[in-house]
Amino acid sequence: MELAALEKQLRTLQTESTTKIGAASSLADLEELGSSLLGKKGALTDLLRGIGSLSAEDRPKIGALANEVRTAIEAALESRRTVAGAAELSARIANETEDATTPGPLPAFGSLHPIPETISAIGQIMGSFGFTVAEGQEVEDDVTNFQLLNIPEDHPSRDLWDTLYLREPGRLLRTHTSPGQIRTMRAVEPPIRVILPGRCFRYEAVDASHGFEFHQVEGLLVDRGTTLADLKGILDELARGLFGPAARTRFRPGYYPFTEPSVAVDVSWGGSKDGWMTILGAGMVHPIVLENGGIDPETHQGFAFGLGVERIAMLRHGIPDLRALLENDLRMLRGLR
Amino acid sequence: MRIPLSWLRELVDVQLTPEQLADALTLRGLEVRGVERWGSAWNKMVVGELLEVGPHPRADRLQLTKVRIGKDQVLEVVCGARNIAAGQRVPVALIGALMPDGRTIERAEKMGVASEGMLCSGAELDATDDGDGILILDAKAPLGTPLSDYLGEDVIDVDVKPNRGDLLSILGLAREVAAITGAPVNYHARSITESGEKVSDGLSLSVDDAGLAPRVVLRVVDGVKVGAAPDAVQMRLKAAGLRSISNVVDATNYIMLELGKPTHAFDRRAVGAKIHVRLAKRDETLETLDHVSRTLDGSDLVIADERGALALAGVMGGASSEVGDQTSSVIIESAVFAPTSIRRSAQRHSLRSEASHRFERGQELDLAPVAAEQVAALISAWAGGSVCAGSLDSDPKAIGTLRALPFRPARVRSLIGVEIPSQKQASLLASIGIQCSDVTAASPVQVTRTRTVNAEKGSLLLANVPAWRRDIEFEADIAEEVARLYGYDQIPPTLPGRDLPGYRPQPTTLRDLLRAQLAALGVSEAVTHALVSEALSDRHAEPVGLVSGELAESEGAASSALLALANPLSVDHDRLRRSLLPSLLDRAEANARYGAQSGALFEVGRGYGGGSGGPQEWTRLAVIAWGEMGAAAPGERPRVWDLNEMKRVITLLTGVADASPRYLPLVDGDSTLLHPGRSARIGGAGIAGLVGELHPGAPEWREAPRFILAEFALRGLSAGLPKVRQVTLPPTTPPVQRDVALAAPAGVAVGDLVALAREAVPLAVRVELFDLFSGAGLAEGERSVGLRFTFQPPQATALDEAISDQLAAFTTSAGKRFATRVRGAEAE
Repeated sequence: MELAALEKQLRTLQTESTTKIGAASSLADLEELGSSLLGKKGALTDLLRGIGSLSAEDRPKIGALANEVRTAIEAALESRRTVAGAAELSARIANETEDATTPGPLPAFGSLHPIPETISAIGQIMGSFGFTVAEGQEVEDDVTNFQLLNIPEDHPSRDLWDTLYLREPGRLLRTHTSPGQIRTMRAVEPPIRVILPGRCFRYEAVDASHGFEFHQVEGLLVDRGTTLADLKGILDELARGLFGPAARTRFRPGYYPFTEPSVAVDVSWGGSKDGWMTILGAGMVHPIVLENGGIDPETHQGFAFGLGVERIAMLRHGIPDLRALLENDLRMLRGLR
Repeated sequence: MRIPLSWLRELVDVQLTPEQLADALTLRGLEVRGVERWGSAWNKMVVGELLEVGPHPRADRLQLTKVRIGKDQVLEVVCGARNIAAGQRVPVALIGALMPDGRTIERAEKMGVASEGMLCSGAELDATDDGDGILILDAKAPLGTPLSDYLGEDVIDVDVKPNRGDLLSILGLAREVAAITGAPVNYHARSITESGEKVSDGLSLSVDDAGLAPRVVLRVVDGVKVGAAPDAVQMRLKAAGLRSISNVVDATNYIMLELGKPTHAFDRRAVGAKIHVRLAKRDETLETLDHVSRTLDGSDLVIADERGALALAGVMGGASSEVGDQTSSVIIESAVFAPTSIRRSAQRHSLRSEASHRFERGQELDLAPVAAEQVAALISAWAGGSVCAGSLDSDPKAIGTLRALPFRPARVRSLIGVEIPSQKQASLLASIGIQCSDVTAASPVQVTRTRTVNAEKGSLLLANVPAWRRDIEFEADIAEEVARLYGYDQIPPTLPGRDLPGYRPQPTTLRDLLRAQLAALGVSEAVTHALVSEALSDRHAEPVGLVSGELAESEGAASSALLALANPLSVDHDRLRRSLLPSLLDRAEANARYGAQSGALFEVGRGYGGGSGGPQEWTRLAVIAWGEMGAAAPGERPRVWDLNEMKRVITLLTGVADASPRYLPLVDGDSTLLHPGRSARIGGAGIAGLVGELHPGAPEWREAPRFILAEFALRGLSAGLPKVRQVTLPPTTPPVQRDVALAAPAGVAVGDLVALAREAVPLAVRVELFDLFSGAGLAEGERSVGLRFTFQPPQATALDEAISDQLAAFTTSAGKRFATRVRGAEAE
């Protein structure tokens, strides 16, 4: 082939290609054009097959021209790709557009019940003072629930606990978590720091603040030289943990057969609900109880406290009626999430 | 104990307002339940003076009065009572006054004469028992004063703890008030004049067992005229919460309140000559004052005469010797009885009286003669008569003494945690009558009932505890008195800074993780009753598999008999649940009734049962869910709770404890609660439970939403925590998967096939169900079960032969056991 003819064909290929490329509208078309023009079996390769018949001095000329044509086509492809790509992207976006401002559909809401949550909160607060959780049994015997706690049979203090008895003689439903004190002391060597949360039972008519089933958390610390002042310190912290940093406590003498001295603790947390609410009973573990737990009251002293979980849960969550806690109405529970 | 303050003031000077006094007592440990003004309901009632009393023009039984209620205020009042005369001061209810019986006083015409108010009787005011005459006030009663100011009374109600029987009296309270204010207690005993016959001339006294009745004192008052007690006495008793009975009985009640010492008055005529304090004979009967005939027990203590029981000692008198209008002579019995004996009698006969309440708490021996004398003095003052000479006394030497209790002030300091000097401790104790003295020799300190510790004299003080403080027995009791008198509010809080216990895992860790997971999954936590009814456990029959079968055995609940209450509050709560499902289902149904078309609840709680080794308790997790899971967006299909959704939850939950659930067919009788065709046992290492849909059988369930239930034991899972998982690096060789499709005849459970596959192909790290269908190419009822086995060989093709062998073994044994045939096997 003549040099001139080949040069012309190459120029024509460049012109025609640029026109085709300019007319292509999609990235896919451009991809196809690219390979039909520049690919292994493309038009350019096709034209250059004739190069073998050229003289040695013409070949570099054609080679240079072919490169020029290739570069021009590639540039045209690239610039067209940019345009087509942008158009395609905006078309896709337009196509995929929906109204993202519709309200989110509600998931299934679950919540945690105030009673276990309050127990858990107490566990966390007390945990920071080295108290771990231990759990006693709810079906108890008269000996552990009463007698070992210095509540002898036929003592008037028994009137403080109206008891539900099982048909099996001597078996009862624990009236408080305090028998856990005995079981813990018998199982663990001092120093002891435990809390004993759990369900308790009493023969009591149900009203807005009483139930025959309720929960308590017992606390027990036994060590050398434990004092009533230590009890005050720990309970102050517990009150602040439960009711906020402004909570104040008031300690006044109380009566429990298993503590001596005994304390009744009132709490006040300021604000509109000011006033003293009795939230727990406490005291120094009675020497007789220490002895019944296998601990020498001459070498060790301890304190114990017991609080009513429902009352604290009601105060914390603003629940006006204790019965609502066992109703398990989802409309209330879901509000606690 | 209701304390009228005017009475307290007779014994001790009180400058505090009732509210201040209540606060001070509360901070000393005498919890005041309330402060009230007795008589505050007397609105629009005033003190008036009768100016004129004259006949009514038209009615003989009425009188016309002019009554002045203020300087220039005179009312015309018609009155039917006969005991009035000019010059008397009387209570006047004005127009508009609301009477205690609910009547309102209105301007009224009475037989043609307008009445501008009403003169009141004691009964009309609910102040005394006298309804016949007008309540005549003191001549110095200030004119026009509101009646509530003049006759009203401040009353504080003290919650007396069982250890402080001494506070069930005005005297006891006066002692505590004295300790607060520093004022002295002034109890002026009334003196008596004895005359006439000696008591011992006509009566004898014998006490069988001085242990049961350490001291019995009898006095006699002759020539009494039984009638009403003085108005002031009746009102005081009423303010204190007691009903007025008669002058004689009121005298015993008055002294009971004043000194805390119950006594009893017998009609002398109905009593023989020989008073005998003894145990009742078996089946002896006694009609008590409440007119109930009671059959006595050989352990009831009675006051008897030669004919039989007269009174149940310390609890209640007998009807036959009751003091009445005809009584002219009374025997006063003032005794101290063994507290336990009285408590048991009162409980046995369900007769708790003011007297038994006090006897149960113990009595001072010295008070027996004192109370007998004081009652005699009051009877002779209020009912006339003369106090017979002398008394009968079973044991005049039985007197309460000061108990000397050595204590270590240093131990008191160590218990309280405040440096209270020994002298300060002594002065605090002295304020409530516990005088301290020095100890001259080493002495034993009473630490507990059985434990004494010898202490050097220099380290001791001797507390001389008065007889009325029966509650002070040990050194710790002294510490409480010191702390209480020092003031709990004066004790600075400290934090215990000694040894900490060693690490112990928290038993609640797993439970709290599961609870948090469930809440995040949209399930709400419930707390339901542990005490359930027979009806509830019947209707929602506790799944047998969970309470006594093999599943239960896995958590120690085997052969768990139902635990029933001996004294249930009601049949609704008379037994302990074994499974959580009945009470949880009850709450789910309640929610559905309230309109919850969907919902999900869970509970972590205990089941209870009786086994051969005594009662047992186990911890379960139960879930119940129904309806849609969350809301669907418009055009979206909602996810609905079904068996598979519940299984996803179970997989997530058990995965927390690194366990994997397996599902196996129910064994016959596992549950009548669950749909027989849509339920399964949950198994796998550490897991035991049931899952299924509520049985559609019972009528009330047919209309109900589809409840999906699951319950499983936590015992096996808890053992897995705290668990630190070991890392498995991604394998360098690709996993090998083999699919096996089996045609399974009707009735073959996929769970059984999967279990067999796991057993027969131990090389597989995972066995999944990837396909399950019936229909085309299968016989009637037959199902195609596609199982995908995943293997992780150490090098490519390393295990090919072993894998093939195991899969072949599986298909062979499945064919034998379940009559399946291989539809295809494919390697990938």
